[in-house]
Amino acid sequence: MSEDFTIISELNNNILVLKTNGYINNTGGEKIAQEFSKHQDSVKKVVIDLEKSNVVNSIGISYLLEIVESLNESGGKLFFTNLDPTIEKTFQIMGIFQFAEKTDSIDSVVG
Amino acid sequence: MKNNSLVERLSLQSESFQEGFELLIKCSTLEEMIKNFYHLLRGNFLATNLYITYKKSFASKWESIGLKFEIKEIDLSFLDHEKQLTVKYSQKEKYDVVVVLPLSDDSYLGIIVGKKLDKSPFNDFDKITLQILLQVFSSAYNSFLNQREVKRLIFDLNEKVLQLNSLIDTGIELSRFDKQNVLFELSLERAVSITNSSSGIILIYGTDSKTPEKQLAFPSNTNPKKVLENQFKIESTFKFDDKNYHFLLAEKETRKGATSFTELDVMLLESITRQVQAAIENEYLIEQSLEKERIEKELSLAATIQQRIIPKKLPEIEGFELSGINIPSREVGGDYYDCIDMGDGKYALIIADVAGKGISAALLVSTLNAAIYSYLEFDLPLTELIEKLNKLIFQSSPSDKYITFFIAVLHSKSGELNMVNAGHNPALLLREDGALEQIDAGGIGLGMLDFGMPYTDQNIILNRGDKLFLYTDGIPEAMNVNNEEYSDERMIEFFKEHASKSGESFINAMVKDTKSFVGEAVQSDDITTLILKKL
Repeated sequence: MSEDFTIISELNNNILVLKTNGYINNTGGEKIAQEFSKHQDSVKKVVIDLEKSNVVNSIGISYLLEIVESLNESGGKLFFTNLDPTIEKTFQIMGIFQFAEKTDSIDSVVG
Repeated sequence: MKNNSLVERLSLQSESFQEGFELLIKCSTLEEMIKNFYHLLRGNFLATNLYITYKKSFASKWESIGLKFEIKEIDLSFLDHEKQLTVKYSQKEKYDVVVVLPLSDDSYLGIIVGKKLDKSPFNDFDKITLQILLQVFSSAYNSFLNQREVKRLIFDLNEKVLQLNSLIDTGIELSRFDKQNVLFELSLERAVSITNSSSGIILIYGTDSKTPEKQLAFPSNTNPKKVLENQFKIESTFKFDDKNYHFLLAEKETRKGATSFTELDVMLLESITRQVQAAIENEYLIEQSLEKERIEKELSLAATIQQRIIPKKLPEIEGFELSGINIPSREVGGDYYDCIDMGDGKYALIIADVAGKGISAALLVSTLNAAIYSYLEFDLPLTELIEKLNKLIFQSSPSDKYITFFIAVLHSKSGELNMVNAGHNPALLLREDGALEQIDAGGIGLGMLDFGMPYTDQNIILNRGDKLFLYTDGIPEAMNVNNEEYSDERMIEFFKEHASKSGESFINAMVKDTKSFVGEAVQSDDITTLILKKL
């Protein structure tokens, strides 16, 4: 139907930074999960920059929850930055922030 | 092996079984469970080769999950036909043990154990250990399924809370927007996301139009045609102000692919659509209310201007009785009357009516009033004064604005009246003997044309008992609920019949008769009259 979701992946100080662009739905969530799985064994911290994603659905959230759980089990942590207020509220309701964190910038995690 | 010794060894192993169970129930994924179970089996049996396979249902194919081996590496033919728990031991085959373990969700675990490192056959202790470990896995798998179900239920519950919350927030946010583009973008994004749609479009059609005059899509590169032709789609529409609004969503997403929308999805879409409709209607009503407020302010200002121009008190003219009235209509018209003392017993009686209503009419009256006062200072011949006024009004007003105007300069000492009628209703002169004259000498209304067309004047002498009646069309054109006019005839008859009264009494009676005729109908124009009587 529509394939406008893109993702930029960067490894910075052994921290995976994923910059998304577009609707985080089944397609978007799957792409994020695939990118995470490539680095799953080597990174403990992941930052997802949602500056260019302001719409998410619960299928997309289910992928993000899996990343949160996976990192939590391996002692890692998922961070979100540049959150649209609506997405932030959505994550709050869906319980993502039980184990993931909101951060002001990528630099505050990468250091 | 003796039974006592077997029981003793199993007792020693019980703690290890318990630890194995605890390890398995901590796993959050099936892959992780199988991986840990693999290590548990290897540790217990010290086998050369060990394979664990999984299939989602009896009809599904065996898969390698969580372990690094290709499924084609092993011969699974002897696992395929078993539906019940099956454990086969054979030293003669390639593998020592083959197990098919049916799980509680109708999936199956296949286990193939190769030769033990010491080549010894599976003894009773190994067989009982295997049975216990299968039971451990089965119990842990049930726990895993329960945890997964609890997670799913919590996720579903959170999703419902999210949908409700999103609906409430959307309603609040939509009510804040006064730009329709933002309104549509936000509502479409929300409708798509809370129904887990893949995409959505809004099409807005004008009356009887088959091509949308406006369309929006989310995500922005969505092809509307593909949404319209999609097998999985829902739609909600509404009509307002001669426009049809269509909201369409396509492909409800799941992790396994697109599926049909539910009744709840339809309700969610309709709910958002209704919110958009309410926001558009509210915006329309607010615009109407602001327009009404603007008009009321303008009318109030126009009324203030008009009230300042119209004299509060008319001058007292020796040997004459002069009375006048102006009753503005609800929409404040541009009627005007005045009597200006020019000195030396000369008075200018004026009555005028500006085409149009409201602030523009009031301002034009204001211009006219100022100009008359200025030009009267120069004591110009009346026709010349009118030509100058005509030029001024023509230049200072839009083409659809003009003024019907009547002026009479009274020489009170001689009773002479010099008059010009510029497109106004004829003045009525009623002589003492009952003869009636209509004074219409003059020319076109002020500001209509500026071709230098001359105005003519008329002179008369007022004698004792003569009455000059000036009026605007608010009286003869006053309309009742049957759309009938009061008429010139009725007004003239009334004038003739009641002219003997004092000026003020006559005017009051004239107004009363007009209003009585109009009845329940709304006064659509100003009522203005001026009456001069020679005593």
